[in-house]
Amino acid sequence: MESDEAIVVEHLSKEFRIPHDRKVTVYEHIVGLLKGGNYSYELFQALDDVSFTVRRGETFGVIGPNGSGKSTLLKILAGVLYPDSGRVRVNGKIAPFLELGVGFQPDLTAKENVFLYGSIMGLTRKEIGKRYDEILDFAELRRFENMKLKNFSSGMAVRLAFATAVQTDPDILLVDEVLAVGDEAFQRKCSEKIEEIRRQGKTIIIVSHALGTVQGLCERCMLLKGGRILSSGETGKVVEEYLRISAAGSGM
Amino acid sequence: MWLVDYRDLIWNLTISDLKVKYQSSVLGFAWSLLNPLLMMLVLYFVFMNVFRFEQENFALYLLIGLIAWRFLANGTMTAMGSIVGRPGLVTKLYIPRQILVMSSVLSSFISSILEFVVLIPLLFILGAKVTPNILFFPVVHGIYFLIVYGASLVLAAFFVYFRDLNQVWDVVMQAGFFLSPIVYPISIIPAAFLEYYMLNPMTVLIETYREFLLYGVTPSPASLLALLAVGAVMVAAGTLVFKRLERRFAEEI
Repeated sequence: MESDEAIVVEHLSKEFRIPHDRKVTVYEHIVGLLKGGNYSYELFQALDDVSFTVRRGETFGVIGPNGSGKSTLLKILAGVLYPDSGRVRVNGKIAPFLELGVGFQPDLTAKENVFLYGSIMGLTRKEIGKRYDEILDFAELRRFENMKLKNFSSGMAVRLAFATAVQTDPDILLVDEVLAVGDEAFQRKCSEKIEEIRRQGKTIIIVSHALGTVQGLCERCMLLKGGRILSSGETGKVVEEYLRISAAGSGM
Repeated sequence: MWLVDYRDLIWNLTISDLKVKYQSSVLGFAWSLLNPLLMMLVLYFVFMNVFRFEQENFALYLLIGLIAWRFLANGTMTAMGSIVGRPGLVTKLYIPRQILVMSSVLSSFISSILEFVVLIPLLFILGAKVTPNILFFPVVHGIYFLIVYGASLVLAAFFVYFRDLNQVWDVVMQAGFFLSPIVYPISIIPAAFLEYYMLNPMTVLIETYREFLLYGVTPSPASLLALLAVGAVMVAAGTLVFKRLERRFAEEI
């Protein structure tokens, strides 16, 4: 395995079954069976034979219209969803920023939540303890460390989450539009942090609708539509292609 | 090994579970101890005066049965919702999902240990035969943990797909409560059925607790080994089922 590859995806496919009549209880299954059992479903091909490689230290963008399979792809990379076929190889520690503050407990204090969330993101107790001051300073929440999280504003909670999450020191960062958090000043701080991580030679995969962000950060980029790769390569060209197909789409 | 790699997370989730449980009401912790005591008083009155069982030290007999049973009932019931109850930890990032079940069962386990600790002074007060055999507690309780964890893995995984499983399980637990020797002495079971009655692992387990806590007897190695085997099989089978069903958790939650 060449060591300059961070992520190798080969022939990845994922299909979702969308049942016409969704049954989520034992009761519904029994009633359904008595009535003759309608288990028909629609198939939705979220990803169709997707292959690509992301090199170590690269910032790679994934763009595409809604429902093109971007989030599905990210979730498979994160290990949340299992692919139907194909292979994913990941070299290094991966940190998914699909949503910030996953697992926060409103009834616990900010401090307790930092330790809880940190361990969810894969840090040990010791590591969190060492970085605890840095986390609070970055989030600018030192004064509120013993306040229960339910009394925090949503902006404060997100700041705390981002500050904790960036401490995980991953090799590969998966980012799903989470940069749009907090107020202007904090957003700038977040972008700077991401830029800093990038300069450290980490691999970043960004899924976004914001073409400006993608153009600003990514060297290479991939355009998904209907679960297939339409084009991939240098960001400028792929974004141009995207603008062309969305113009053609809305012109119809 | 996920148990080692994620030990801090498992511990943090367990502790935060307990904190939320006991902080939400001031009496939270006291209630969890008062509940079996009050139950014991009610049942003691009913079964002593109405049914007139001949069972030596019936109060402690009841109490040990109740506290032992509560770990299974509460442990499986809360652990069943451990996957569904934390959708973010399943759909937004990857952690081995059995961690959620493990930490839920662990927090019930700790609650259960506390209940047994409160029982100890009562053993002296109500005249149990306390001997060093009481030290068998960690061994037996550890085996019991395996049984509850194994069952919880299966329940939590199926609960993702069948959201009324808790209703079904509630009835199963009610039946199990009366199929195990908790509120009545084993002596009332007709000899013809006794052989089948003893096949219930909970019967063997509850009787084992009584042996070393109430009668000061050393538990028989045969029943300890049988229980350990049941626990090991349940964890193995539970893990197998869980791994199989886990693949579509994120789609179903």
